Amino acid sequence: MQIVTHMEEEIKECRAAGPGAADIPMAAMFCRSFFIQAGWNYERFQNLGFVFSLLPALRRIYPDKAGLKNAILRHMEIFNTQPYMANFVLGNVARMEAGAAASLEPDARLKNMPGVKQALASSFASIGDRVFWGRLKPMTTQVCLLVWTLAGFYGWLFTGRAEQPSLWLVFAGPLAGILGYSAVAVYLRWIGLKKGYACGGTASCGLDAVNWPGIIRFLSAAGFAFSMVLALLAFGLLIVANYGACSTAELMLKLGLGAGVLVLHRVARAYGRSAFFAAGFILAVSVLVFSVFRVEPFKMHI
Amino acid sequence: MTDALKILLSSAVTGLLGLDSVQAGQFLLSRPAFVGPLLGWLNGCPLEGARMGILLEMLYIDVIPVGGVVPPNGAAAAAAAVLAYSAAGLAPSLAFFVGAAAGAAYSPVETLLRTARSAWNPRIREQVSAGDFNISRWLARAMLMENAALAGYTVCWAALCAALAVLPGIRALYPATDFAYSLMPWLGLSGLYFRFRTQAYKKG
Repeated sequence: MQIVTHMEEEIKECRAAGPGAADIPMAAMFCRSFFIQAGWNYERFQNLGFVFSLLPALRRIYPDKAGLKNAILRHMEIFNTQPYMANFVLGNVARMEAGAAASLEPDARLKNMPGVKQALASSFASIGDRVFWGRLKPMTTQVCLLVWTLAGFYGWLFTGRAEQPSLWLVFAGPLAGILGYSAVAVYLRWIGLKKGYACGGTASCGLDAVNWPGIIRFLSAAGFAFSMVLALLAFGLLIVANYGACSTAELMLKLGLGAGVLVLHRVARAYGRSAFFAAGFILAVSVLVFSVFRVEPFKMHI
Repeated sequence: MTDALKILLSSAVTGLLGLDSVQAGQFLLSRPAFVGPLLGWLNGCPLEGARMGILLEMLYIDVIPVGGVVPPNGAAAAAAAVLAYSAAGLAPSLAFFVGAAAGAAYSPVETLLRTARSAWNPRIREQVSAGDFNISRWLARAMLMENAALAGYTVCWAALCAALAVLPGIRALYPATDFAYSLMPWLGLSGLYFRFRTQAYKKG
């Protein structure tokens, strides 16, 4: 009797493990995950995209129509996370669904699913926002500016200057950043799906797959270093462009204007205002000085 | 006629690239730094397109799209700026500020579209309950609506800029916009500096 009970438990555990990753259509889920925000709405955020991405797995897990219908309806609830990190949750949920479908007590296994899904979504949203929106995305702009500057295109700094950069250089700047960024994003989407599925079922699944705090610290330091390099390059270029062509006082005024904009932005930020406010302020003062009072037009470079 | 075709083509491209910002892919192809030079190239002014694009990009860095925040639309901004310059004939400096305004003004349109999609949830539940599991057509519809809205919006801004260009006295603004425009790279650099300075001094 004991042997039979033991065997039954083993069978339960074995069935609970569900199908292996090879049985789940990972490639289809991966491709669909690029549309996870396609149906973004204020009521349930990414729920439609999540169901759409999970559907290939659900079709495999639930061959019967009733089971598939219930599974889809389960995932029509609120879901929101950072889009590149969503695949960690997607893989995890696919594994939990597979485990539940193979279990003799599916309801017990599905009971924890909303909690795990929500916990993972929140955690990965926080990490993804910091890594991608907060650091990598502005770094693509820095890469673009560095490529242009190192290749001798300074048109981004001297707005009135007529330059004729080659077409490949014009596109090389933005594309360098975009390709690097997208490579990381696509890799993380794929790895996220696989890791999520591999360790599915736990609320910490995938969170320790990568040293996120280390990466965030590194990106912060690298971004700050790039910012400093760009600021030094900009001031250096301003001096070189004006040196000998205008008086020292005029050069100091131009350098002061560059630094003054930085101070204005700092003050705007201190009062909770964005760069748009600072830009609007600069435009309004310029209109007053140069268009209303008709002061002699002034250029930042000769 | 050629200008009208260029505006329509540019708007269609903007609508398509705009999908990348939220709905499909998110490869940053909808960022002004890429849309600017691309539309500039289509309209015969890649340098100005690149310049306005990167400066809009630097200005928009200040807004992070977390949670339900609807950031200014970079694709709309770059498209409006390039068309204001190339098709309407405004000075690049004024075109830049027009573009910045166009990008910011798109947020309510985006909010409207997202709110409209909320009403789809009960309908999709009904559809699934009835045994029809095709979700993709709803997503296709959402993308089509976004695409059409952004393309239409770009055409409207191009028309507005054409009207702006024939306003008497508009040229009197150019010395002011030229000066303000020349300070925008510094504002952008400042944005990059503060973005990373705050993070570098944070612990954890």
